[in-house]
Amino acid sequence: MIGALGQVTFQQWRAHRLRTLLTIIGISLGVAVLFAVRTANVTLLSSLTLTVEKLAGKATLQVVGDEGGFPESVCETVKDVPGVHVAQPVIEVLANTAFADEGTLLIVGVDMLGDRELREYQFDEEGSEIADPLVALAQPDSILVSRTFADKYDLEDGDKLPLYTSQGRREFVVRGIFKPEGIGKVFDGQIAVMDVFNAQYVFNRGRNIDRIDLMNEADVDVDQLAKRIRAAIPGGIEVTPPTARGEGIEKAVSAMRIGMLIASFIALLVGVFIIFNTFNIAVNQRWKEIGVLRAIGVERRNVQLMFLAESVMMGMIGSLLGIALGYLLAVGAERLMSEVAAKIFSYVATQQPPVFRWDYAITSFALGTVTSLIGAWLPSRAATNLDPALALHNIETRQREAVLGRGRLLLGLALIATGLLCVAFAPLRVSLDYQFVYPLLMLSGLILVLPKMAELVARILRPFLDRLFGTEAVLAVESMIQSPRRTTATVGALMIGLSFVFSTASYVQSYQRTVSQWMGRFINADLIISTSEMARSRTYHFSEELGRQIAAIPGIKRVENVRFLFMPYAEDSIAVVSFEMDGWFARVNDPIDVGDSNEARQQLLAGKGILASRNLTTRYGLSIGDTITLQTPTRPFQLPIVGIIDDYTSEKGSIFFDRKLYLDYWRDSSVDMIDVNLEDSLRQDPAGAVLVRDRIQQVLRGQHRAFIYTNTEYRKWVLDLIDGFFVINYMQTAVAVVIAALGIVNTLIISVTERRREIGVLRAVGGLRRQIGRMVLLEATIMAIVGVISGTLAGMMNTLFLVRTAASMVGGFTLPFHFPISLIIIALPLTILVSLLAAWWPARKAVNLNVVDAIGYE
Amino acid sequence: MRMIELVDVSRSYGGLTKVAALSNINLTIGAGERVAVMGPSGSGKSTFLNLVCGLDQPTAGTILIDGVDIGILDDDSRTRLRRERIGMIFQTFNLLPTLTAIENVALPLRLNGMSRRVAEPRAVAMLKRVGLGGRLDHRPDQLSGGERQRMAIARALIFEPPLLLADEPTGNLDSQTGDEILDLLDQLHGELNMTILLVTHNEEAIRFCDRLVRLRDGRVVNDEKMERGR
Repeated sequence: MIGALGQVTFQQWRAHRLRTLLTIIGISLGVAVLFAVRTANVTLLSSLTLTVEKLAGKATLQVVGDEGGFPESVCETVKDVPGVHVAQPVIEVLANTAFADEGTLLIVGVDMLGDRELREYQFDEEGSEIADPLVALAQPDSILVSRTFADKYDLEDGDKLPLYTSQGRREFVVRGIFKPEGIGKVFDGQIAVMDVFNAQYVFNRGRNIDRIDLMNEADVDVDQLAKRIRAAIPGGIEVTPPTARGEGIEKAVSAMRIGMLIASFIALLVGVFIIFNTFNIAVNQRWKEIGVLRAIGVERRNVQLMFLAESVMMGMIGSLLGIALGYLLAVGAERLMSEVAAKIFSYVATQQPPVFRWDYAITSFALGTVTSLIGAWLPSRAATNLDPALALHNIETRQREAVLGRGRLLLGLALIATGLLCVAFAPLRVSLDYQFVYPLLMLSGLILVLPKMAELVARILRPFLDRLFGTEAVLAVESMIQSPRRTTATVGALMIGLSFVFSTASYVQSYQRTVSQWMGRFINADLIISTSEMARSRTYHFSEELGRQIAAIPGIKRVENVRFLFMPYAEDSIAVVSFEMDGWFARVNDPIDVGDSNEARQQLLAGKGILASRNLTTRYGLSIGDTITLQTPTRPFQLPIVGIIDDYTSEKGSIFFDRKLYLDYWRDSSVDMIDVNLEDSLRQDPAGAVLVRDRIQQVLRGQHRAFIYTNTEYRKWVLDLIDGFFVINYMQTAVAVVIAALGIVNTLIISVTERRREIGVLRAVGGLRRQIGRMVLLEATIMAIVGVISGTLAGMMNTLFLVRTAASMVGGFTLPFHFPISLIIIALPLTILVSLLAAWWPARKAVNLNVVDAIGYE
Repeated sequence: MRMIELVDVSRSYGGLTKVAALSNINLTIGAGERVAVMGPSGSGKSTFLNLVCGLDQPTAGTILIDGVDIGILDDDSRTRLRRERIGMIFQTFNLLPTLTAIENVALPLRLNGMSRRVAEPRAVAMLKRVGLGGRLDHRPDQLSGGERQRMAIARALIFEPPLLLADEPTGNLDSQTGDEILDLLDQLHGELNMTILLVTHNEEAIRFCDRLVRLRDGRVVNDEKMERGR
C-alpha cells in the first residue's frame, strides 16, 4: 500500500511542480541560512584560533596581561623560573601601511636573538642578499614581511615600507621575506615581523610587552611550570597554553555570534509556515482524492502517513540542498564576520575554507526534516479526519473552515498576556536561555489569534476596498476570510519575517537614540581624534607627543588624552576609561546620576575614587562606596565608587577615573582618543570646528593615521558603527522575508488552483481577464496589509523583549521602547510591492485559466 | 427575429488525431423560443452550449448571437456579451461559496462596474422574484439544492438577458424540486420572454420546451417542433 500511496504522491509532485519546487526552496533557504551561520561561526573561531596557534609557534605556554600589556621585566622573571627552556617577549599590533590603500598589516614584534627557537621562519632565499634576516632585524628600521604581502605591494629585499606608527609615519626597510607558510599564512599573509624593542618604541608601548611565549624544558610538566610561573609574576598576568587563548577570543566575539545564530533560526521558523501552508492546501486540493482513497479502503493512518512521508521527503531534499547552499554561503558569512571581528575586536583571522562539520550537517538536516514534519502534521491530521462521503461531494458542499474556536482565541490571548507580564516583571536572575521563552510565548499567542485578527482586518478593509476596487476586492477579501488556515499560514510567515525586521531595526534605533542622548550629555569635546575607523584599536595607540603637537595648533584651547581598554574583572571583563577629568567636569553639566555630585567631583579629581556605569553596578550588585579592584602591572588598583552614571560605552560595564591614576598604576602613556577643545571664539563659529579639523589634518597628513571628527560627525559615526554591527542580522532577516515572499507565491498559486472553479464561474458570468488578475493581486495586497499589521504587533512585542529583557541580560541596561512609525510607513508599500511581485505569476495563471475546464473542475 | 444562428459550425479537439465534437452544425433559434437540446453522453451537447455562450470557439463556421458574430469579438467583448446578454445556469449551480445570495446575484452587475448601492437592491428584487426573499444573506452552503438553483437563475437573469442557457438545470435535483425550477423558468419566460436553450436528459424538461434538437456524434439528427405540455 505504501508503494501505491507513494506513487499517488509523486504524481502530485509532477502535477504541481512549481508548488513542490517553491516549498523545497523555502525549506532549503531556511536550512541554508542556519547551516551557513553555524559553519561560519565555527570557521571564524577556527580561523581566530589558527592565528593564535600559528603565532605561538612551538610555545607551550603564554604569559598574557590585559590590553595595556605588562612590564618587560616580567620576561626576565619568567626566564628565571626553573623549567623554562626559552621565554620570548612579543608585541602584536594591527597597524596600517602608508601606501595608497592604507592596508592593514599585523606586526609581530619579537626578540630576534631567541625567537627562532620558538617560531620557524621559512625565508624565501630567492633574490635575498641578507645572510640572516633575523639578525638583520637588529637594525632599527628593519622589517620582515611575508611573500604574500611583498607580492601585493611589489616589495623586494631592501625596498622601503612606510608604516603609520604611534610616532607618526616611519619608513622601514624590508630585510627579509618569509614564505607564505607557518607564520606567513597568518591573517592571509598580511603579516610582518620587527624587533620587539623597536616595536615598543614606534608603537608607544614604553617598557611594556603584550605577552611572553615560552617553552618548557623537556622533562618539566607544563601545568606544574604554569603554577610556578604564576607564583613568580605579579597578579593580573595570566599563564595559559596557547590553545586556551582561543576561548577568550570566543568569549569576546560571542555577542556577535549568538545574535546571528538567533536570526538564522528565524529563517527556519518561517519555513515551518510554508510547509504548513503547502500541506494544508494540498489536503484541501486533494480533498476528493483523499475521499476516493478512503472509499477504496485506505486506512486513516495510511492517509496521514502518505502526507507525512511526503513532507519528510520534501524536508530531506530541501535540507540537503540547504546544506550545500549553506556551505557556499558560509564563505561570505565568515568573511563578513572576520571583518567585524578584526574591526571591532581587533582579532585577526587566518583565512581558511569553511569548516565542514558533519554534526552541523546532520543537525541541520534533522532540523529541516523535522520542521517539515511539524509543518505537515496538522494538515495531515485534517486529511485523516475527512469524511469520505463529504469529500466525494462537490466543492460547494464543503463546510466553511471554522475560523477560530473561542478556546484557541483565549489561549492565544493568555499566551500573549503571559509573555508580556514576564517581560515586564520577571527577575533578571533567570537565565537568558529561559527568558527566550517570553517572545516565543507572545509569538505563539499571536499565531493563535492571527486567524481572527486576519478576519477582523479583512472585514474592516472590505467596505473600503469595495468602494475603491469593486467586487474583485470583495471576492479577494472573502477568499481570505473563508480560508483562514491558508491565510494564517501565509500571513503568519510574513508576520514572523517582518516582526524580526521590525524588532531588529527598532532595537537598533532604540539603542542609537539612547546612545545619541548619552553622547549629547557626555561627549562634549569639539573635535575627537581616534586611532581607528572603529571606536578604538586594541593594539594601535597614539603617543602623548601627538597630543602635544595638536595642542600647538592655533585655535585649540586644550587637548585631553583618553585611554580606553578592557580589563579582566570577576571572571569577565570591564571597560576601563581614563581621561583628564578636570576638563570634562568643566564642560559637562551635572553628569552624576547617583551620588553626591560635588563630593564625587572632588574625589575623582583627587584620584581617590572612580565613576561606575549603571550597568556595571546593576550586574555586580554594586553601589556608592563599594570598591572595585583591578590587577594592574604595578600593584592592585583598589578604589571606591563615588558616583554612578548612565553609560553605554560597553555592554560589560565601565569605570572612569582620572588619567593621572592610569599613568601611575599602569605605567602606560598610550592614548586611544584625543579630545580637542577649541578657543571660545572658534566654538561660537559654526565653521570653527571644521576649520581646526582641517588644520589638524594638514599637520597629520602623511605622518599619522588618525580619524578626526567634529562632535556632530563623531556622534553620527558612532551611530553608523552600531548600524554596521547589525548588518549581518539585517541580511538574515531579509532572507526570512524572502522566504515569506516565497510563501506568498506558493499560497497564491495554491489559492488560484483551489479556486479554479470559482475563477471559471466568474469568467463565465462575465468577469474580464483583468478583473480576475486584479482579484488575485488584491488578495496579495490584503495579505501584505494584514502581514504588516500583525508583523508590527509581533515586532513591538519582540522589541519590548529586546529593550527590556535581552538588553538587561546582555548589557545590564534597559533601553527606552522606541518603535519607529517611519519603519511601518516604509515597510507597508515595500511589502505590498513584494507581495504583488510574488502574485504576478499566480495572477497570470488565473487570467489564462481555461474557463470550460475550470467549471468542470472538481 | 433570430437570436442564435450557427452556420457550418464544427469543433474538434486534439493534436494529430483530431476528435470532432461537433460537425457542420447549421441551426437557427428565434427570439423567445424555448429549445431543448438532447443527446447521449459525448454527443456534443456541452460543446454546443460552450460555443453559444462564447466560452469556447469553433474550429470552423460562424456563430451569431442576437446578430453579433462572436467569432470576430476579442475575449473582453465576448465576456461582456456573455455578462449582459446571456444568462447561464448549470447543473452544479456554480455559485460562489464565499458570497451571500445578494452578493452572488449582484456579481454580474458589480463586474459591470455598478456600485454596490445600486446593484444590491436589484439583486434583492430578483431574489424575491425567484422566491428567495427570505434567504438574502444566506450563503450557498446554507441553502437547499432547489434554492441554490433559484439563486443561480436569479444571477443569470439579473441583466434580464435575451438569452438564457441552461445546462442540465434539474440534473442535481429531485423530481419535485426539478419541476419547481422548470415552473419558475416557465414563469420567468412569461415575464421576460427570453430565448431559452436547455440542455437536458430530463424527459420532463422537454415538455417545458416548444422545440427539440437531438444531437448524436456531433451532428443534429433531429430538429422538431413540440407541443408545450405544461
